[in-house]
Amino acid sequence: MVAITAQEVPGSQSHWDDLAAKARTRRRTGLVLIYGFLIAASIPIITAYFWLVTLSFSARLDDINTEVLWPSIFILVPSLVAIWVWAMVARTRTQAFIGWGIICLATVVIYWWLLGDELHTNNYRFLFNRDFNAENKSIVAAEDRLGFSATAFPSVWTAALNSLFIAILSTIIVTTVASLSAYYISRFQFPLRVSMLRSLLVLHAFPSMTLIIPMFLVLWYIGLLDTLWGVMLVLVGFELPFAIFIMKGFFDAVPWEIEMSAIVDGATRRQAFVRVVLPHVVHGLIAISVFTFIRGWEEYIFMFTFLINNNHWTMSLFMFFTIQENSLGIDFGLVSAVAVFYVFPAFVLYAFAQKYLLQMSVGGVKG
Amino acid sequence: MAAITEEVAVRARSHGAMRTRQRLNLVIFMGPAAIIVALFFALPVLVDIFIAFTDLGRTLQISEFSLKNFDRAFTGDSRLPKVLFLTAIYVFGTLAFFNVTFGLILALTTTALPDKAGGFFRTIWLLPRMSPSVVYIVLWTWSVHSGDSSLVNQVVMNLFGVEKPLDLLLDAPVVLIILANGFIGASFGMIILTSAVRGIPEHLFFAAKADGAGYFSIVRHITMPALRWPLTYIAIWQTLSLVVSFEYILLLTGGGPFQDTTVFALYIYRRAFQSGQYGYGAAMALFLIIPGIIFALSAWRFTNMQKMMQEPRIEVH
Repeated sequence: MVAITAQEVPGSQSHWDDLAAKARTRRRTGLVLIYGFLIAASIPIITAYFWLVTLSFSARLDDINTEVLWPSIFILVPSLVAIWVWAMVARTRTQAFIGWGIICLATVVIYWWLLGDELHTNNYRFLFNRDFNAENKSIVAAEDRLGFSATAFPSVWTAALNSLFIAILSTIIVTTVASLSAYYISRFQFPLRVSMLRSLLVLHAFPSMTLIIPMFLVLWYIGLLDTLWGVMLVLVGFELPFAIFIMKGFFDAVPWEIEMSAIVDGATRRQAFVRVVLPHVVHGLIAISVFTFIRGWEEYIFMFTFLINNNHWTMSLFMFFTIQENSLGIDFGLVSAVAVFYVFPAFVLYAFAQKYLLQMSVGGVKG
Repeated sequence: MAAITEEVAVRARSHGAMRTRQRLNLVIFMGPAAIIVALFFALPVLVDIFIAFTDLGRTLQISEFSLKNFDRAFTGDSRLPKVLFLTAIYVFGTLAFFNVTFGLILALTTTALPDKAGGFFRTIWLLPRMSPSVVYIVLWTWSVHSGDSSLVNQVVMNLFGVEKPLDLLLDAPVVLIILANGFIGASFGMIILTSAVRGIPEHLFFAAKADGAGYFSIVRHITMPALRWPLTYIAIWQTLSLVVSFEYILLLTGGGPFQDTTVFALYIYRRAFQSGQYGYGAAMALFLIIPGIIFALSAWRFTNMQKMMQEPRIEVH
């Protein structure tokens, strides 16, 4: 028997090539399948949000309709595909940009030509015109039904300011209180430290939603029911254990040496905390403040429950009451525009804080 | 001799000063948090236990103490069995289809893609979680409303040839609340599992590939074993949060049509705030609060206590 070496087998090189090609095909098919699945799974979400945006710019709106949505999709999807294909085809950077420019320009022109008449920005008039209430159909309808006067239904800015008040104040309180106590728990020796840590863990996992009934009664006893302060404090209370927990993770990660050197240099612990340690946990501070702010800005259930007399409008309540009149009489364009206005800050903040929020789940919860 | 007594006195004084400083630090750093926690966790729990034994009603006045509320919950409330059954279906359905399974699928598929593409799809699936609940539910209501111009009806009528527009809110409300909660719940599992998949040492995948393992056997023998613990965590945590939360259901269906989507947490809420039976609501809420506390206590098991409890290395106050 003669040993067969690779060279002696006819076509062995191409045999390897075959295998490589096969593996490549398999990998590519796998990727295509995964992309296909993810695109299919994401279509409902993208379509729904895109629909909201198109509605907010639609001019003719007696009913919720998809008249702008489908043509927009038929125009935008091919142009997105074209951009993607061109990104693969183009050889140089300049070529790529020129191609994309042409595609975008063509899209805009076609879009404007086909759908220009259907679109306007008038739905966003609430941003500038404080007295749009009288002409707002949904508010007039709500007025008939609920017995509000049109002036009792506030402008969007009143609601936005109330929401901002709650969000900003609760953010300030939560960040301050949480960083103080997280630092103490993380770094100080004191009696009952271990049981304090345990109760923190318990609190952070406790479902606060179950306390809504007693919370209502507590607010009523202390006279804060139906006030913005009451809602704000409830949000602070329910957000605090989580925030302390996260901040403790960040404080734990700060090296002891820098604090020691500060103390050797004559700083007290309090000074060391403010001047040396705090700057090291800025990412954690950003993460929890973004979290608390968005929580306050978006909160619905506590506001709906604790602001019983409709004296204080917040964004969520405003949104809710403008759509309550569910069948006829809603100015859907306006409602969509308000919704876009309401969603926007949250999305922007998330986008801005994404990397800090990711650090939080890595550095905090696992710690 | 005098010098020694003086020194002892000085030491005692500085020791005393240190004690004062220590106490002051405790108050400054822990005080605010302690007050807030006492006011918003301890007090409500106590109030709830107290109220559960009273007949507190719409007038917010207490006239008697009794066990009537518990009596009613265990024997007298004919609606409760149906509500509990529905809750079980809703929680199990959402969990099984979305929070665990779909979350896992999303995590596995997005981590198989290049980082940017995976991140893009994850962001899309985070949109429902990021948007305010009211807006999210507005989108649902509009998408499924009974007219033929709603998103769902446009699709099923034009693509699948359904003759009459569907009215999902009336005909399939339970499916709808499972979907609405599931679209949000899936992203929780997705995020936790994505970081778990990322945490698997890369050389394991290389070794498996070198040994000739295909995609599915890699998932089966390398990824899944590493995800067992996170999956348990997600299942337990999400069960609890599904049982206690009712925000999206309240917004989407309001518990209706009739009582068809009134899950236990929403039933409590409606009893308390719509029928004004605060006492009864508080008594039933105890059945959520107690499991909540038990779960929260078991949270120790999920955490690396050793690492959390590292001893302070500076004794100065």
